[in-house]
Amino acid sequence: MNNLCSDIGYKSINHYGESLCGDHIEIVEIDDNSTVIVLSDGLGSGVKASILSTLTSKIISTMMAEGLPIEECVSTIAATLPVCSERGVAYSTFTIIHIINNETAEIFQYDNPHVILLRNEINYEYPQTELNIDGKKIYKSVIPLYENDVFIAMSDGCPHAGVGTTYNFGWKREEIISFMEALIPAGYTAKNLSTMLVEECNKLYGFQPGDDATACVIKIRKREPMNILFGPPSNPDDCNRMMSLFFSKQGKHIICGGTTSSIAAKYLNKPLKTSLIFEQSDIPPTAELESVDLVTEGVITINRVVEYAKDYLGENNFYEHWNIKHDGASLISRMLFEEATDINFFVGRAINPAHQNPDLPITFSIKMNLVDELSDALKKMGKKIKVIYF
Amino acid sequence: MKITVCIGSSCHIKGSRLVAQQLQELIAKHNLDDKVELCGTFCMGKCQQGVCVTVDDNFFSVKPESVDEFFATNVIANL
Repeated sequence: MNNLCSDIGYKSINHYGESLCGDHIEIVEIDDNSTVIVLSDGLGSGVKASILSTLTSKIISTMMAEGLPIEECVSTIAATLPVCSERGVAYSTFTIIHIINNETAEIFQYDNPHVILLRNEINYEYPQTELNIDGKKIYKSVIPLYENDVFIAMSDGCPHAGVGTTYNFGWKREEIISFMEALIPAGYTAKNLSTMLVEECNKLYGFQPGDDATACVIKIRKREPMNILFGPPSNPDDCNRMMSLFFSKQGKHIICGGTTSSIAAKYLNKPLKTSLIFEQSDIPPTAELESVDLVTEGVITINRVVEYAKDYLGENNFYEHWNIKHDGASLISRMLFEEATDINFFVGRAINPAHQNPDLPITFSIKMNLVDELSDALKKMGKKIKVIYF
Repeated sequence: MKITVCIGSSCHIKGSRLVAQQLQELIAKHNLDDKVELCGTFCMGKCQQGVCVTVDDNFFSVKPESVDEFFATNVIANL
């Protein structure tokens, strides 16, 4: 057991005019420290490709997660995939990255562009062994993991970007490598790295992709614990217990909610300084409290964080907003989505009498829903979440 | 003189931002920067009466549209 974890993010764009993507990514967590990631590219585009790649990645990830050998996965795929009536073959490529105990990556590659590994911010050529399984050439690599290793898996839509328009031969592997190398020092998350790579492809295609293009980035990083306090406890006598548990935790501390931060200020016996600087019109200002990393308003701010979280998991359109702004919601988003890997929620279930006004769009159930939605979204980002209620 | 505007959730929804901004402008307009201190606070526990504003220790309920009147009667007049 080491202090590392994997940040995994991916993004796809569809062949121009298609509503389905022919590439598919499947991620199966085997346990807290082991994950199987499969990227598959189905033959052609549209529905048929989508079915082929979904089947392939689902079957392989499920079998690998159960500990079956690669040979069995491949022969199962060959026996299961429907044969394309136009081309007479059953075909879908795959890249399998199996992260074992956050110590080793086992990679199997079949007909996708080979995985790029950036180690210490530069390209690292890792050894590959050629296997022959059922007549298919499959490349196997076993790589010990180090902090800041970045694996980039792609479908061929990425190196084919710009063929015949921007470039004669598409976006060359070396060029993709230098594009990504330039991004690494900025410390972007896996999701943002994959988004930038795919967006660049989209640009090279003139925003009319001639193929589905997918990038999946796996970033090996140190664990970073984070604690977030939201709402006063339902029993006021629990205030001190809640505060002492919260402040005893390792990592950064975020407090959301006016009343909650007043309780914390009283517990710490430190002044709570609210600011009147409105960074962004619709999010209330933040406050300062010694030994707390961030103090914000509660429901309105968290509601916005939930919106950002959902977008980040999908289209990732709001990134440019929360990445630079200094309002409470943007600050929380950066800390939770980018920095944190292990997040402890301390949720108080007090019903705020002030919120029981029918004029106000804040109810107790909305507050609890926000916690559920946010913790779900963070789990989907691959974070380890613990929620404690008071 | 110290004016405190609540910026908690409830008052935020009722327009505390507009109240605070108008007060900032009025203070600047009347050159009262050295006489009046404007600050924010989280919930004062009187959300029903928001937007909650205190002038020193006196409580007032101010709406964004009544800021001018509030400023004239409770700030300027008492300086």
